[in-house]
Amino acid sequence: MYGLEAISANNGWAMALLGITIVFSGLAFLSFFISRLHLFLEFWENKDERIAKLKKRFQKKPEIKKEAPVVKVPDNLQEAMAQFKMLTTRIGDPFSLPRLIEMAEMSGLFHPHSTVNKFIKAGVIEPDGKGFFTWKL
Amino acid sequence: MEDLLIQFLNNTGYAMADYRHVIMIIIGCVFIYLGIAKHYEPLLLVPIGFGILIGNVPVFHGLGLSIYENNSVLHYLYMGVTLGIYPPLIFMGIGAMTDFSTMLARPVLMLLGAAAQMGIFITFLGALALGFEPKEAASIGIIGGADGPTAIFLTAKLAPDLIGPIAIAAYSYMALVPVIQPPIMKLLTSRKERLIRMEEPREVSKREKILFPIFGILLCCFLAPAALPLLGLLFLGNLLKEAVVTERLAVAARNSIIDTVTILLGLTVGASTQADVFLTGKSVGIFILGAVSFGIATASGVIFAKIMNRFLKDKINPLLGAAGVSAVPDSARVVQIVGQEEDPSNFLLMHAMAPNISGVIGSAIGAGVLWSFMM
Repeated sequence: MYGLEAISANNGWAMALLGITIVFSGLAFLSFFISRLHLFLEFWENKDERIAKLKKRFQKKPEIKKEAPVVKVPDNLQEAMAQFKMLTTRIGDPFSLPRLIEMAEMSGLFHPHSTVNKFIKAGVIEPDGKGFFTWKL
Repeated sequence: MEDLLIQFLNNTGYAMADYRHVIMIIIGCVFIYLGIAKHYEPLLLVPIGFGILIGNVPVFHGLGLSIYENNSVLHYLYMGVTLGIYPPLIFMGIGAMTDFSTMLARPVLMLLGAAAQMGIFITFLGALALGFEPKEAASIGIIGGADGPTAIFLTAKLAPDLIGPIAIAAYSYMALVPVIQPPIMKLLTSRKERLIRMEEPREVSKREKILFPIFGILLCCFLAPAALPLLGLLFLGNLLKEAVVTERLAVAARNSIIDTVTILLGLTVGASTQADVFLTGKSVGIFILGAVSFGIATASGVIFAKIMNRFLKDKINPLLGAAGVSAVPDSARVVQIVGQEEDPSNFLLMHAMAPNISGVIGSAIGAGVLWSFMM
């Protein structure tokens, strides 16, 4: 048998194709490995430094606790603040400002509007962004 | 007394010789001439040429003189070839001589060594088409690997009857690398391409050189286990060289062992080319296919280098592709010579060693693959 017929009969096409593919893949694989080898060795030689860098990258950043703003309460407001706080224990925190003022009026506290205004200016109470207020101290 | 004299004269080589012996003796002399006068692979051609002379002195069969007689000294020495012992030992010596630095510095050049192995498989198809048996076709195809020990190793395993012609063809074409390759290289490249300069390779650390043979054997032989005898000893030889602490063993491998084995291999392969075994139609076919195989291997390497240049940022000189055939270091030298014909200040030898060495690895893998296909 000769020619293409002989090649086909002896499975020549498949053997040649597979053969060259295996040789190519073998050398390509080795070539890829060699191209990475020096990088791996470089990493290995400086492993302590590299590992420290990696650790640093993946470490959770410590949460920076926001320091509570320092609120200075004027002495003349200290007593009023205690009284208004007692009222809010009944209506809950956060609270509605009109409701607090109404409670204060009902309880006979003097000038509840201006006192609450002073609280806001001093930062003793703050809006919670939802239409209510909350104590900061 | 007269009868005794006539009987003696009839038993001399002069009386038993015919024209085939004369042809083979002339071939042997040509080999010796090429080796000594032309310096074409003298370390191989001189022992082979002399072996051809030894093998073609007509002898009386039955006296235990011929290499093909079981009780002859030459037969015992030839067992190193038929049992596949010599080729791996030569590979160990090659490993102990070779510096893989340039290949490690620019591993992409290894692909050229892979491309040049196309010659093996295309010639395999050609041999099948010409009517050779698959095992014979595989042995003929491996001539395209341009690696004598690999060709002998595979032929000893698959088609022992063809060792003589295949070994002679492989070594002849290896010796003729400076004649065969340049015209193909020039035909397939433009002057502009031949002038391309390669960038300096990076420095390779000792650790890389030591690790390479260890990972090399594991990666290659897990893929093609049949390449183990050749690649195993190639990488062992290289590890002995690079490890430094085994310098004595490396010196032995690259000097005394490889020299001894080369003498025995050359002598016995040459002696196996007895006229009645060698001068056949098959041998002529093998020589023609061997030349084709060599040409295809060279062309494949060069063409693949040109294809790679389409994708690479730093262009490579396509002449390097011709060094992918594993005739170490002759094909690398040819690249240097052809490159310097265009630009005498362009030094390509160092770069050409990368595909050259990967060609050795590639042809050993190719041999392993063909062997496993035929099992």
